[in-house]
Amino acid sequence: MAHSLAAAASFSPPAARRRPPSQVTNAISSRGLVSFNSQRMSFVSIRSRPSQLRFKICCSAKKETVDKVCMIVKSQLALPDGTTVTGESKFSELGADSLDTVEIVMGLEEEFNITVDETSAQDIATVQDAANLIEKLVLEKAA
Amino acid sequence: MAAVAPTRAEVLSLFRSLLRTARQFSDYNIREYTRRRAADAFRENRALSDAPAAAAAFVDGKKQLEVAKRQAVVYSLYAPKAKNIMEMKLQ
Repeated sequence: MAHSLAAAASFSPPAARRRPPSQVTNAISSRGLVSFNSQRMSFVSIRSRPSQLRFKICCSAKKETVDKVCMIVKSQLALPDGTTVTGESKFSELGADSLDTVEIVMGLEEEFNITVDETSAQDIATVQDAANLIEKLVLEKAA
Repeated sequence: MAAVAPTRAEVLSLFRSLLRTARQFSDYNIREYTRRRAADAFRENRALSDAPAAAAAFVDGKKQLEVAKRQAVVYSLYAPKAKNIMEMKLQ
């Protein structure tokens, strides 16, 4: 998904890049620059860029956020070391009741120095939900 | 006075308020005690099925919240300067 966004961001209008077909082959040598010559004498260049941090905002939360959340959940619920906690784990599956969920959200508030309001806290069902909400609040706070 | 059992959302909201108030204490011991006591009390009363008992427990919880809020203000006037050893990171 980040790739397609990068492509959309660097899409150049065909009129500006119009070249006769004979010179197209010379343009392909640069790393990462791919041009397709269609029959219509105009080509589209798709440049692939390594995905930068700003494109990740619309995707799900960063891995270290998810890991931190997993760690807090594990310590709060006192899960034995062997249990795997992933982004998709639901709190109810891990044996947490609603009181545990409130405590976990409190722990996350302290860890990330954010404030979660009541309504958002009700919607948190999985680790991924929590991580996404945290990311959103951290961004809002920094802005 | 008709005893209306508190809704789930109210109970969780009270719990959240208690935990938030606990955070305001500067003393580590009192902070931890408030958290522990709140969690224990709510967990213990989880299974209360009849409405009057649940309502009574809820009112009791609200009173304790008021106590905690007042005490947080009083304790902050006399906050210790040194950090409690439990709060220091392991070196």
